[in-house]
Amino acid sequence: MPLMKRPMAMIVLLSVLTIAAVIVCPMIGIRWISPLCIMHDSDLRFIFLNIRIPRTLVSLFVGGGLAVAGMIYQAIFRNPLADPYTLGVSSGASLGAAVCIVAGVGGTAFGMSAVTFGALVGAVVSTLIIYVFAWSREGNSSTLLLAGVVVATVCSGFIMFINFVGGLHKSFQLLRWLMGGVDGVSYSMFFFLVVPLTAFFIIIGLFMPQLDQFLTGDNIAHSRGVNIRVSRNMFIIVTALAVGSIVAVCGPIGFIGVIAPHACRMLVPGIRHRLLSVCSFLLGGSFLVVADTLARSIAPPSEIPVGIITAMLGGPFFLIVLFRKKSRLLM
Amino acid sequence: MKCTEAMLDITDLWASYGSAAVLRGLSLRIQRNERWAIIGRNGTGKSTLIKLVAGLLNPEQGIIRVDGTDVKRYSSKKRAQVMAYVPQKLDGIIPYSVHDFIMLGRYNSMGLLGVPSPKDYEAVREAIDICGIRHIVGRLMSTLSGGELQRVLLAGAVAQQTPLLLLDEPTTFLDPAHECLFFDALARLHKQRELTIVMVTHDINTAIAQCTHVGALLDGSFIFTGTSREFASRCPVLLDEIFSVSFERYTCSSRNAEAFGAWGVPCL
Repeated sequence: MPLMKRPMAMIVLLSVLTIAAVIVCPMIGIRWISPLCIMHDSDLRFIFLNIRIPRTLVSLFVGGGLAVAGMIYQAIFRNPLADPYTLGVSSGASLGAAVCIVAGVGGTAFGMSAVTFGALVGAVVSTLIIYVFAWSREGNSSTLLLAGVVVATVCSGFIMFINFVGGLHKSFQLLRWLMGGVDGVSYSMFFFLVVPLTAFFIIIGLFMPQLDQFLTGDNIAHSRGVNIRVSRNMFIIVTALAVGSIVAVCGPIGFIGVIAPHACRMLVPGIRHRLLSVCSFLLGGSFLVVADTLARSIAPPSEIPVGIITAMLGGPFFLIVLFRKKSRLLM
Repeated sequence: MKCTEAMLDITDLWASYGSAAVLRGLSLRIQRNERWAIIGRNGTGKSTLIKLVAGLLNPEQGIIRVDGTDVKRYSSKKRAQVMAYVPQKLDGIIPYSVHDFIMLGRYNSMGLLGVPSPKDYEAVREAIDICGIRHIVGRLMSTLSGGELQRVLLAGAVAQQTPLLLLDEPTTFLDPAHECLFFDALARLHKQRELTIVMVTHDINTAIAQCTHVGALLDGSFIFTGTSREFASRCPVLLDEIFSVSFERYTCSSRNAEAFGAWGVPCL
């Protein structure tokens, strides 16, 4: 069967791309840092090892994590427009961050700022609200999507209110946070992310066959032996917590979660979720690594928040793929 | 497994959507290896009945036993080993190849990681042959015609290798040629293994010709249950009563068969 062979080729290609991006991108920035410079210049070595490397690694995991999370929500809601933020996790996190920023909560712990912890609390609270709702009698996929929209809208309302009363300086600080970015990340942030994300990848990796079933529709999946409710709610909470930790560290970086899984589906029609998740991780991860490299290089000496780049690049890129394939979204 | 047990045993089943009662105290007993057609008007609860049996809906009252066990007591996996369900239509695109889709029917027998064993490949190959879809196994589900799709959905259920098969209007959207292919597949399947089929259909002649038994629903309970021969002998009077449309009997002398047709004249 011709369809069986291509996913592996795709994974090899994307792996090569990702490895290349992870090796080359740390060298690129406002200053070009070649391997030779690292040997000779201790300042550049410091920048390379302690700023650019952790930043690249965080980008890889954040981009990959968002892509996989988007893929999961698209599958369990059977909705091509679903993304990691569909259930309002990022809005909850943003509200938590907004409160911390405007209240002026300072200080750091374990190398993370108070804002990060505030965002994490916001993400967990909004996740729990959705999760409780998911187990209620009314919790099916369409009401869950609506509940997510409601949570997001209410949080946005509060954020705007906080923004309004916060004063000019803090308001800008908040806006900057909401743009999302991986600037200023450290190794401690990388480890902060790696632990929940690795747990996330392992858990969902075990349940990929269930995701395949979800896309055949609830009735067929049910008759095949999937406990729709239990399975869906498990995916919801695991994914929401992973997305929450991503947003807490980087703010809401958009578009990757929607486009990476679709781009992979278009490149390899008929791909099943086990391989699709690997492809999505690699594509989303390398895309964010490259986007962040652009973000810190194109307008020196300032660095553009990478969320702006992903939105500006991601949209048109996706449209091109959509038109060239002359096809509908393949799900 | 006690073989004396009925395959499907429904007692005093009640179900409703909101305040509108759909099934009112319905009872039915189906033995192994029987093929049942459930007929009746739109909205009399044919699909609801099938979904209740499949465990997709919960009854308000009453007990459904499949293979001697209450449907509510089945775990998801165990249920999928006893019965397979083919829906009326798909509610969206399935983004897999035909072969992969049929393999998804083996979900139950595969472990947590979903790696198919040689036995799973064998079951899929068998389902493909029974349903006569070998020529399209490499295609994507989204490129299939309605007739092909219906046989692929059947193949997915066949691959589950269950003793009970539930079909919700499997041939409603098919032309006569594809309908014929579909029933050929069912006939091949029936020849290969012991299998009980419950099928919702609007086609009375199909029900009589293809099934061993007929259950006719009217206002939420059975107005008739029995063999299709018996059913045919009581038509067209029974049909008039069920559909409130005047039916006529046609006889084909060369095939020694009967068919019933309505000309859209309401009964008085």
